[in-house]
Amino acid sequence: MIAQQMLNGIVVGGVYALFALGFTLVFGIHQILNLAHGGVFMVGAFIALYTVLAGWPLWLGFILAVIGSGLLTVLIELTAFRRLRESGEAEFGAIISSIGANLIIITIAQKVSNTLVLRFPFDTFPIVIYEFFGLRVSALQLFIAACAFVLVLLLTLYLYRTQFGRQVRAVAGNERAAKLLGINPNAVFFQTFFLSGALAGAAGVLVGLAFNSIHFMMGEPWLLRGFVVIILGGLGSIPGALLAGLLFGMIQTMTVAYLPSGLTDAIIFSLLFVILLVRPHGLLGKPEAGAMRGR
Amino acid sequence: MMLDFFTAYRPLFDVFLLHTGYALGQYIVLRAGVFSVANAGLAAIGAYLAAGLTLKLGIHPYVSLAAAMLAGMAFSLLLSWPLARLRGVYQAIATLAFVQVVLSLNIFAERVTGGAMGMNGIPKVVGTWTLLFFAVVTIYIVTAISATRLGRAFDAIRQDEAVAVSLGVSVRFYQSVAFAISGAIAGLFGGLEAFHGYALEPNQFGFAFLVAGLSYVVLGGRRSVIGPVVGTAILVALPELARPLAEYRMLVYGLLLMLVINYLPRGVVDTFIEMLHRRRMAARQGSGAGGKS
Repeated sequence: MIAQQMLNGIVVGGVYALFALGFTLVFGIHQILNLAHGGVFMVGAFIALYTVLAGWPLWLGFILAVIGSGLLTVLIELTAFRRLRESGEAEFGAIISSIGANLIIITIAQKVSNTLVLRFPFDTFPIVIYEFFGLRVSALQLFIAACAFVLVLLLTLYLYRTQFGRQVRAVAGNERAAKLLGINPNAVFFQTFFLSGALAGAAGVLVGLAFNSIHFMMGEPWLLRGFVVIILGGLGSIPGALLAGLLFGMIQTMTVAYLPSGLTDAIIFSLLFVILLVRPHGLLGKPEAGAMRGR
Repeated sequence: MMLDFFTAYRPLFDVFLLHTGYALGQYIVLRAGVFSVANAGLAAIGAYLAAGLTLKLGIHPYVSLAAAMLAGMAFSLLLSWPLARLRGVYQAIATLAFVQVVLSLNIFAERVTGGAMGMNGIPKVVGTWTLLFFAVVTIYIVTAISATRLGRAFDAIRQDEAVAVSLGVSVRFYQSVAFAISGAIAGLFGGLEAFHGYALEPNQFGFAFLVAGLSYVVLGGRRSVIGPVVGTAILVALPELARPLAEYRMLVYGLLLMLVINYLPRGVVDTFIEMLHRRRMAARQGSGAGGKS
């Protein structure tokens, strides 16, 4: 029974990792907390759903969702953040600006969906259940885990093994020095925001498939829990977000399974509060990331 | 004619007064350079405590209001102590976590708070005049604070913490004071809201409430006291002024937030005050130069 819950937790955790990676990537590189990340996640699910409803295959919906969410995030960067970054007071401003962007996205989604809870058609994903050593795994769960794994792997390769990734990390380390070395920071911004949105969109499609309940507010709980994941992992840390995502998926599944159901959120957010008090730089973040005041 | 106008817009005016309180509670912490969004949780504590004391224990509403105010202040002070170690974004996330804990415990503790059903049958003892009284008193107190050493210390910390420290301003002390005042205001207005609307429901103080409180201050401005009041007036009146846009209220709200923070980062009122000030200075310089020649 515990093994089964662990397995379910890992699958959910993979999706949390996917969602949190994009969230923490933008913070790590640009010191911007993009609160429209939940909205982008929801848009990803919407794009895939409407593609399938229009009669096209799911894989096409998935690709369109990933590209569409990526472009949406680039648009958010251009409209909500670019000017603020140039003015210098980005930290507070970006939070407000992205809350605004999120409200706009949510209202449009509400209009498009008529405030309804939407579902994928019954046979969108084949319902097959495998048994290994007494553990039950559905084909959908395998698909989700595989997607999360592949996307995370691609992102890691991109950031740590390519020329683009080197540029991204250079800008994250020191934007002025990177500029002097001839790196165009705007191209880096474009890439990181696109990647961040694409990952959120992919997470949105996977969650839409797994829970089959797609509505305009579906991003909010994910955004709030995303905070727990990125803080637990260390704000801005990519391996941290991965580890914390998996860990968080298991913690959440366990609390739902073994504790009174109404307490899950209270426990999760108390955990977040305690982490911030005890170890604000999280599991794998660096203390010099600036969580504490300089005194 | 005047009276008709007043009765028609009275509910809206009540909302404006309540939210003015919330806006000022949010304003105080932001002005002192603390990025706290704890007010939603503190207002929820105030509202449920006040309603619970009167409904379940039969305590006089005004005593319950005082208790709500003190509870808001006490919780806020408790929060300020660990938060003093954290910086900007981390403070925002920690206080957001606090709000989520309060909201989820509120739904869980069904026997005390009514859970997801909320509380019903709360005596309505607070009307427009009472709200007006408390709003005016709050505006007065906050204005009075601004003119003192406390207000100047808040400004110094917000503008440049390192300079404030070097001038001998104790950041920790002044930010705790800001937390206490802000918590008292949030608790009090939470209590007022409980006694104003017959019923409470848990989502009333959720993420949307938190966003609204921040928006009032951002739109109006973080420096002058009148800023958040004007910000509240604009955002509360907006859906009424633009009836055809009522369906797209949140969209307009979001657009406004983005435009203001990008193009008027000091907010409507502070930008205006600064403009007047600059014009006066220019005029004075102009006349000075004229006198010399």
